[in-house]
Amino acid sequence: MHKSGAIVGAPRWVKVFGAIALVVVVLVAILLLTGGGDHGPSRHSPPAGLHPQP
Amino acid sequence: MTMGPRLRKAALTAHVAASVGWLGAVVVFVGLAVVGLTSGDAQTVRGAYLVMEPAGWYVLVPLGLLSLLTGLVQSLGTHWGLFRHYWVLAKLSINVVATIVLLLYMQTLGYLADVAAETTGDDLAALRSASPLLHAGAALLLLLVATTLSVVKPRGMTPYGQRRQQQRLGRQAG
Repeated sequence: MHKSGAIVGAPRWVKVFGAIALVVVVLVAILLLTGGGDHGPSRHSPPAGLHPQP
Repeated sequence: MTMGPRLRKAALTAHVAASVGWLGAVVVFVGLAVVGLTSGDAQTVRGAYLVMEPAGWYVLVPLGLLSLLTGLVQSLGTHWGLFRHYWVLAKLSINVVATIVLLLYMQTLGYLADVAAETTGDDLAALRSASPLLHAGAALLLLLVATTLSVVKPRGMTPYGQRRQQQRLGRQAG
């Protein structure tokens, strides 16, 4: 903050962090949208051919 | 409300212990995930995926929530505040996101444990999953960033923090 009382903008590290966070969020969103049901527990279901114990 | 020196140190100790404990637990999860992906022994691979779910519920989740809770107490009870400094805000965001993703991911760990418990034979390909390593690695990176922010405390006040500071300085001058 300046002595004049004017509000100072965000420092550079905040802008860099914000940009990285935004890129990560967009990438994760794209992966979730394009991967569809591949993400989440369903992708870990055992493949056919395995024989679960009774 | 600002805490007294003794209470502040106790709260800080609790926050550091919970947060570093969480970081250490995530490192153990990275190790378990590597064992699950690389071990040639089916029993060991099965054991790694079986232990992830209870370890998540009994260690990761409590430490994550405790880190969040003690962090809130620490910031609201000191001059740092919760929304005044960018580094505190960044840590809060990391903690909240990591805790939410962890709680959602517990479902996947449950599925992996079920698969490990229900499958028979030595079909390691059916047991292995890169997902725990991916998630634990991302969590480790996030928590290391949070730890670095705690130590460095980079400069920068939010507009709200600057207004609060101006009000305080105004009161002192008046």
